[in-house]
Amino acid sequence: MQLLANALIAGSLAALIAGGLALVYGVLGVFNMALGQLALTGGYIAWWLHQVAHLSLFVSVIGGLISGALMTWLTFEVFVRPFYKHHRFLPLVTTIAWSMILDGLILLVFEERPRSILSGGKSMIPIGSALISKEQCIMIILTIASLLLFAWVFHCTPFGRKLRAVVQHESAARSLGINSAVLHRVIFIVSGVFAAAGGIFIGIDQNLSPTLAFSLTIKAYAAIIAGGKGNIWGAIICAYAIALLEQLLVGIHWFGAFYVPAGYQQTVALLFIIGILLLKPSGLFRSVSRTA
Amino acid sequence: MNFFLHIIVMIATTVPNVLGFNLLFGRGKIFHFGPLGVSIVAAYGIFLVTIATDSFTLGIAAGLLVVSLASAFFAWLSLRLDADGFGVMSIAVHLGLLAVVLNWSSLTRGALGIPRIPRFVFLDSTLDFALFSTVVAAVWSYILWKIDKGPFGRKLIALSEHEWHAKSLGIDRPQVHLIAFLLAGIGALLSNVLYPQYLYLLHPSDYGFPGFVFFVTVVVAGGPGSVRGCLLSLILLSFLREGLRFIPMAPDILGPLRLILFGLILYIAVYCRRDLLFPKQRTV
Repeated sequence: MQLLANALIAGSLAALIAGGLALVYGVLGVFNMALGQLALTGGYIAWWLHQVAHLSLFVSVIGGLISGALMTWLTFEVFVRPFYKHHRFLPLVTTIAWSMILDGLILLVFEERPRSILSGGKSMIPIGSALISKEQCIMIILTIASLLLFAWVFHCTPFGRKLRAVVQHESAARSLGINSAVLHRVIFIVSGVFAAAGGIFIGIDQNLSPTLAFSLTIKAYAAIIAGGKGNIWGAIICAYAIALLEQLLVGIHWFGAFYVPAGYQQTVALLFIIGILLLKPSGLFRSVSRTA
Repeated sequence: MNFFLHIIVMIATTVPNVLGFNLLFGRGKIFHFGPLGVSIVAAYGIFLVTIATDSFTLGIAAGLLVVSLASAFFAWLSLRLDADGFGVMSIAVHLGLLAVVLNWSSLTRGALGIPRIPRFVFLDSTLDFALFSTVVAAVWSYILWKIDKGPFGRKLIALSEHEWHAKSLGIDRPQVHLIAFLLAGIGALLSNVLYPQYLYLLHPSDYGFPGFVFFVTVVVAGGPGSVRGCLLSLILLSFLREGLRFIPMAPDILGPLRLILFGLILYIAVYCRRDLLFPKQRTV
């Protein structure tokens, strides 16, 4: 039960990041390799506002989200927009460069020490045989609420219909008067806000550390590739599945003989994808695109 | 003089690995972002067996075997995935291998690395190392240059330019990918049989992500696919990287500054070389 609760917590974090990214990939066809660093930036800014500037938690979280949006906008304007129309693979390299720059900046400004947005112990709530903190409950509920809101916007509003039109066929959408350039920018920034929310989630639940960035990025992309690139719901489902597998791997007393060391946990995402690629190279829930 | 010899060793030991990566990424446009994953396999394969058996022959044979397996695995992944998906997955494999090395402490000593790495008997001084590694680098550069200019290089270019057209001309993509990955793997083997010997230490921090970014920067700045250009940019960037050690700054500032500097260089290089890196233009 505790393993399932842990999987729900870790899966919510990964789903938050992977959902936004899957939309970006579906529309723009680009990978943003600086995503983990952008998530951490949002978390670190929230930490700074709360622990150093002594602002309230609510204001700090909003500040973190806004900074995440601004940083992602900067990422789009400098590291993606000048390149992705030229060739959609170029941002993969430029965002790797940006991730290095952000890594350096995070180390310079926030240092290598672990940082936690909330200091002090957390009060635990027993749910069945599992223990979950109040903050974790709130974050799981907020994540699910955000994903449902996102689903409603995507499927039930005029803005969502425009988004889906651009995902299905950008040229046709443009010929119908949809401003795809603006939508590209908006989608990219929304993915950054989700990522920043993920970073704040980590900062509240655990500790922020510069070394987390790449494992966050890889886990999110693992979910996207396994879910079928561009399929938002496939990515979200796979994010939860990977989190569950990670928890099961290190939490189970295998054959009553040994535990797998926690250090191997992040390799689970990799093994998961390799397994899926053996069975279904295009991912579990590949979107069927319109050809005419 | 010692610093100059040190720079020569650093450059020459990196040449085989970088040129192998250039063949894949620069010439073949294959998004292989895990060259240091193959390097980890090579280095640990060679020296764990060498130390256990006290025989370099067995160590190098074991290294060749594991490098071939790792290269074949990457080649299979590259055929199984879209180009960008493979890029991300190859990073994941690299980080996965690093996680194994860091956590399997009973075998690899984890983050401490393996000290007292044995040396070839004829490599006694830094000068010996500089001479030997330069000869190895020169021979390997010539071999790769000949391969690049020969029929295999043309097949690789054809596949990178238009896969369907190349296939219709009878070019076997799986075979070309496998050979290219094996060549890059041999480059990794050559680099990693020398580098830990030079340091007397095999340390996992030498195989981190910043090392990979250095490789990409060298290839992009030197001109993707160009053996001569890559050699030139490797020399210049190595002088820059090693020269930064002399700036009087605390290591906790110098390290991040180095990351920022190489990130900026990579960005500028991609911006200037984008037509060479990916010449295709989007039509829609």
